[in-house]
Amino acid sequence: MEAVHKELVLYGVEAEDANEAIDKVGNVLYTNGYVRETYVPAVKEREVDYPTGLQLNTYGVAMPHTAGVHVNTPAICVAKLAKPVIFGHMGEPERKVEARILFMMAIKDPNKQLEMLQSMMGVFTNDEAMLEFDAAKDEQELYEVAAKYLNS
Amino acid sequence: MKPIKILCVCGSGTVSSAMAAQKLTEKLGEHGYEVHATECSPTSAETALAAGGFSLMACVSPVYQDFGIPKVNAVGLLTGFGEDKVIEDCLQILGGDAE
Repeated sequence: MEAVHKELVLYGVEAEDANEAIDKVGNVLYTNGYVRETYVPAVKEREVDYPTGLQLNTYGVAMPHTAGVHVNTPAICVAKLAKPVIFGHMGEPERKVEARILFMMAIKDPNKQLEMLQSMMGVFTNDEAMLEFDAAKDEQELYEVAAKYLNS
Repeated sequence: MKPIKILCVCGSGTVSSAMAAQKLTEKLGEHGYEVHATECSPTSAETALAAGGFSLMACVSPVYQDFGIPKVNAVGLLTGFGEDKVIEDCLQILGGDAE
């Protein structure tokens, strides 16, 4: 399944904090029709109570997402930030993570998008893959890495 | 394979709990367990548990309430950090490998 679309791979997103990052990245999902206008507010609200930062072996990332009712078409938006922003850690809201890359997920039905979730998890735990994401120097390189690892 | 029921809890009861469920099914399967996972959010845990028969709760969001069912912090399944520890914790609750 094609989870990664070229218009959803963003490089050098400027954001001062997690909210601004979610706004900017989520807006790309919205303007391309993947999610409803309720998606970004719902993601931000969810992030307060149930943060999605993950400290991986390599570096920190975040996977903001929300319930399927806000989603039109399932997709993953891969956004490399110009500089890391602070997210709360999943499962431990007190713990902070410096997220370098946002993997913003638009999931409609997790049972039908299991492959997408599996490939996502496979990447998080694959140091080599994460280092390739980090080494990408422009949008095209980032797209190639994302397509290689996230399209099944 | 010994069938067991696990309640996977995450913020929206969808994405991260489905990821945890997937991993638990795979990893505990290697230890002889046939995992039947139910996904829910912390606020719907009580309703979900009412179905009964759950061996443990695997949480990727903090669950503060005590439901009388052992809880395992399952965030390690997503980060890969301490993934083995999560599986060990589950096996300890389940009483080791299934026959």
